[in-house]
Amino acid sequence: MQKLRNSLLLGLVAGLCVAQTGDMVPPEVRRVGDRLACLCKSCKNTVATCQMLGCHYTAPARLRISELAKQGVSDDAIVAEFVQKNGKQALAAPPPEGFHMLAYIAPPFAAFAGIGLIAWFVRRHRKPAQTVQPELSEADVRKYSDAAAKELERLEE
Amino acid sequence: MENIGALALILAFCLAIYSFAASIIGGWKKKAFLIVSGERAVIAVFALITLAVVILLNALVTSDFRYAYVAAHSNRDMPVYYKLSSWWGGQEGSLLLWNFVLICYGLVVVLQNRRKHRQIMPWVVASLMGTQIFFLILNVFPASPFEMLAQGRNIVEVQDGNGLNPLLQYWTMLIHPPILYMGYVGFIVPFAFALGSLITRQPGEAWIHTTRRWAIVTWFFQSTGILLGAGWSYAVLGWGGYWVWDPVENVSFLPWLTSTAFLHSVMMQEKKGMMKVWNIVLVAATFFLCIFGTFMTRSGIVASVHAFATSNIGNYFLVFLTLGIAFTIYMILGRLDYLKSESELESVVSRESSFLFNNLVLLACCFATLWGTLFPVISEAISGERVSVDAPWFNRINIPIGLFLLFLTGVGPLLAWRRASTESIKRNFLLPFLAMLAIMAVLVVLGVQHVYALTTFGLCAFVSWTIGAEFWKGAGSIARKESIGMLPAMVALTHRNTRRYGGYIIHMAIVVMFIGFAGAAFNRDITVEVAEGKSFQLGKYDLKVSKVDMGQNENYVYQNAIIDVSVGGQHFTTLKPERRIYSKSEQPVGAVAIHRRLNEDLYVNFAAISSEAQKPIIQAYVFPLVTWIWAGWWVLFAGSIICLIPSKVKMSYAKTEVLGVAGAHAKVAK
Repeated sequence: MQKLRNSLLLGLVAGLCVAQTGDMVPPEVRRVGDRLACLCKSCKNTVATCQMLGCHYTAPARLRISELAKQGVSDDAIVAEFVQKNGKQALAAPPPEGFHMLAYIAPPFAAFAGIGLIAWFVRRHRKPAQTVQPELSEADVRKYSDAAAKELERLEE
Repeated sequence: MENIGALALILAFCLAIYSFAASIIGGWKKKAFLIVSGERAVIAVFALITLAVVILLNALVTSDFRYAYVAAHSNRDMPVYYKLSSWWGGQEGSLLLWNFVLICYGLVVVLQNRRKHRQIMPWVVASLMGTQIFFLILNVFPASPFEMLAQGRNIVEVQDGNGLNPLLQYWTMLIHPPILYMGYVGFIVPFAFALGSLITRQPGEAWIHTTRRWAIVTWFFQSTGILLGAGWSYAVLGWGGYWVWDPVENVSFLPWLTSTAFLHSVMMQEKKGMMKVWNIVLVAATFFLCIFGTFMTRSGIVASVHAFATSNIGNYFLVFLTLGIAFTIYMILGRLDYLKSESELESVVSRESSFLFNNLVLLACCFATLWGTLFPVISEAISGERVSVDAPWFNRINIPIGLFLLFLTGVGPLLAWRRASTESIKRNFLLPFLAMLAIMAVLVVLGVQHVYALTTFGLCAFVSWTIGAEFWKGAGSIARKESIGMLPAMVALTHRNTRRYGGYIIHMAIVVMFIGFAGAAFNRDITVEVAEGKSFQLGKYDLKVSKVDMGQNENYVYQNAIIDVSVGGQHFTTLKPERRIYSKSEQPVGAVAIHRRLNEDLYVNFAAISSEAQKPIIQAYVFPLVTWIWAGWWVLFAGSIICLIPSKVKMSYAKTEVLGVAGAHAKVAK
């Protein structure tokens, strides 16, 4: 009885799938779907990469993309239709406009702020060079510098 | 028994409060008996929490379905090891795991430091117990694992439980949560010592020396936990994704980034007495990001397949985080005088600077990840419109950051401490740079055009060369001096400074993993509906569905497809992907079949049977180089173990002071 029930369940799950031959994710779906988020709430994939067969969002979305592509609708127009229908959350990444530009600006801004912080740190923690009297010849300095550099390298090893 | 379990947690809660108060008063008033009493209370809390754990595990193993938790997360037919793993399968049990891991660490700290660090210890114990109190509040009040099923005033028992989520019935899930928790909870120890050091106005680096091994061990557990999670995701979810920038994945990554930054910048403090404030900030950030991650996973603030059911415990976390962060900031600001740098930078082009940049890049990655995770919530709150921030955004931002970090991994060893001369830079960079160019040129000739993949492979060559050269130069010197072979010389070299060379091996692990990540650029997949006896092609592989079988065991009913794979007409392997429906949850789950090799994995998922034609629907994937990611863990493991072995030569770092920068013909006067 349990087996029968489970078999029925298997059949039900399978029933969600649409019969098809060849690769079930055609190139136009991969291309356009890469720009669209899967909104099923249980994955963070795009419409192109969501691999849940029968996904309640991705499966119809793929069909729609194929349909529109066959009609000769451009990729941008297909994406625009999804945005019109589901809002900006239909996009896999925030649109680089208005408030959402912040999504793109903030990380590099933070990195530059960090560089500024490092510059401040370096400036603060570097002593200014002292005024010193020349006494040695250039050759002597080079000789001692080389010797010191070698010593330092040996220390490093 | 259920009453004893609940009582044990309540008593543990009361004793944790006592330990917290006794330690603070004892530390403040210098009362030794209170301090010792507070430490002994930690041992008692450990005993009580362990008792609660044993009672819960007993209920799970014996399928005592009077417990609401047992009924919700296990069932009779589950194998005993999955019954045990149900401990962390739900909210209440996983919080008990937090409590258990935390008190285990607390116990070890108390036992290790019975005669050491007596001035700091009361404050360390108070910090540990303060955190313990918070997690015990959760387990005692809103999320008790000892709630019973009742009808009216009578306790009742259901016939069978709901079972563990089938996705969690996989071997890595037996160890992933405990190991991850050991990593995240473990960072409380360095934080507690840092806080103790601040409170008692300890000068110097005492807390750093004490907690160095803790930091390495917990970092290793964090890394292992994250990789186990990735491995689970790869093998269980049916599409081979090991990292999708899901919010829960992201929040586990954040403290790893800050702890990695800490492990690097701590060397600046040890060797130069610099970045003291920064290190305290990093260790505190790591700890609070661990708590923040737990908050995100359990509050329902972001949607994730990994998150626990939405509950009201989010507010408790917010209060704890607010109080903890405010107190830590107050302490840091109040102790700035004790955290002054002891030395100064000699040159911008130096090992010190590379550490600064390493920290910057790690924190930039941390910020970007946090920003991307929270941006949908921020956007909705400010603009009123929710947006999706999925893998494409994270990849766009974080891949360049990751590559720059990889570059710095190679640059670090090439720069000398204090100052690197132009000549030494030219000399040290030339060969690694040529190796990088050579690898990239070969790959271009072989037809690789993916820019990120090319850059990654090139940088991997660059870093490998620098690390290899470090070992080669050092071991060569020892081999010549002691007339031994290169291999024993390398062992001797590593033993002389285990942290340094263990660290290089960990860097090598990162290189190996990056090779695996780069492989994703060449992934291929196909989804087909194919009749029994028919075949389909994916790349060089010819996959023939020979047979479809059906069967059942106590836990689930299954269908499997026997797929014969051939390459160029030669039999290559047979794969048997399965599709299961678990009897209790009635949830369909795929059990994929993977043929793993170093160059690429062939990954097959039996997705379904089509409704119209009753043919199997098969998803097949080729994942190049993915095995390198898992192989990288073994290298990381080896490096971490080496870092923990005491060095043969005890290093003492004299603090250097810059007297001045002399130009040509200069004499430096003291």
